[in-house]
Amino acid sequence: MDGIGATHIDHIVIASNDSGAVAETFQRNLGLEIKRTMTRPGTGAQLAFAKLQEVVLEFAGPPEPKPGEEVKARLWGIVLAVRDIRAAVDRLRAFGCEVGDPKPAVQPGALIATVKSGTHGVPFALIQYEAISPATGAPA
Amino acid sequence: MLTKIHHVGIVVHSADEALKFYRDALGLPVTADRVVEDQGVRGVLLQIGNSEIELLEPTRDDTGVARFLASRGEGMHHICFESDDVAKELEAARQKGIELIDQAPRVGLAGMICFLHPRSNHGVLVEFATPIEGQHGH
Repeated sequence: MDGIGATHIDHIVIASNDSGAVAETFQRNLGLEIKRTMTRPGTGAQLAFAKLQEVVLEFAGPPEPKPGEEVKARLWGIVLAVRDIRAAVDRLRAFGCEVGDPKPAVQPGALIATVKSGTHGVPFALIQYEAISPATGAPA
Repeated sequence: MLTKIHHVGIVVHSADEALKFYRDALGLPVTADRVVEDQGVRGVLLQIGNSEIELLEPTRDDTGVARFLASRGEGMHHICFESDDVAKELEAARQKGIELIDQAPRVGLAGMICFLHPRSNHGVLVEFATPIEGQHGH
C-alpha cells in the first residue's frame, strides 16, 4: 500500500459557538452553497455542510448558541478518506501513532478512526466509505 | 468563482518533524518545499487528492505565523480556496465590504494569492489562490 492509501480530504471541520451563523457568513462572503444541515444524533450538535468538489466543509456548533455571545469560529480538524481503514490504522500504529479502533461513522456504511497523536496539533480522523453493511454492520 | 479547496495550512514548529507524519506515515507526496523569505516561513505542500496540505514553519520570530505558533501552538492556520481569477475574487470581496489583509494579489507558494482578514469570517483565516501555469500542483 502507498502510505495509508488516502484518496482525498473527505472533510474539514470548522468549529464554532454558532454553526448556523458561521455557515451563513461563508455562504455570503465566499458564495459557498450550504447543501445540508442536521442535528448530530446523541450530542445535539448543529451541523451545516458545504461541498467543493470532493471536500466537504463541516460547520459544527453546539445545540443552542448562547444569545448575545460573539460568534467565534476556528479551523478544527481534518478527515481523510482511505481505501482500507484497518490497513491504514495498522500502518499509523506501526509509525508509533495512537489510533482508535475503527467504529461506525454517522455516514451509513462508513467506518471512522481517530488519530490521537503525532498529528502536530490537528484533530485527525480517517474514514472509509462502504466499509460495512448499513443493515447488518458486517464488513462489506 | 471558487472551484475547490486548494489547501489547508498547518503551522508547525518543525516541518522536518511534521513530515515524519504527513509524508512518511500518511504517504503523501511533497509537491513543493521552499522558504518564502518575505513571509518568514518555510512552506511544504503535500498532495492529497485534488487538494493539498501546507505545512508552515516560521523561519523568524516577527511574522504572523510565528505569533500564531507562540500563542496557539501547532495546528490548523488557514484554508485556501482555488479560483481561476484571484484578482476578481479579491475585488468581489472588497465590494462586499469584507476586510482584507492583501489589497492586491501577490505571489505565494500556491500561485497568485491573497488573504481575507479573519475578522470577516468569525476568526477563520481565508486565502484565495490562482495557481501559476507551469508551477507545481493543481
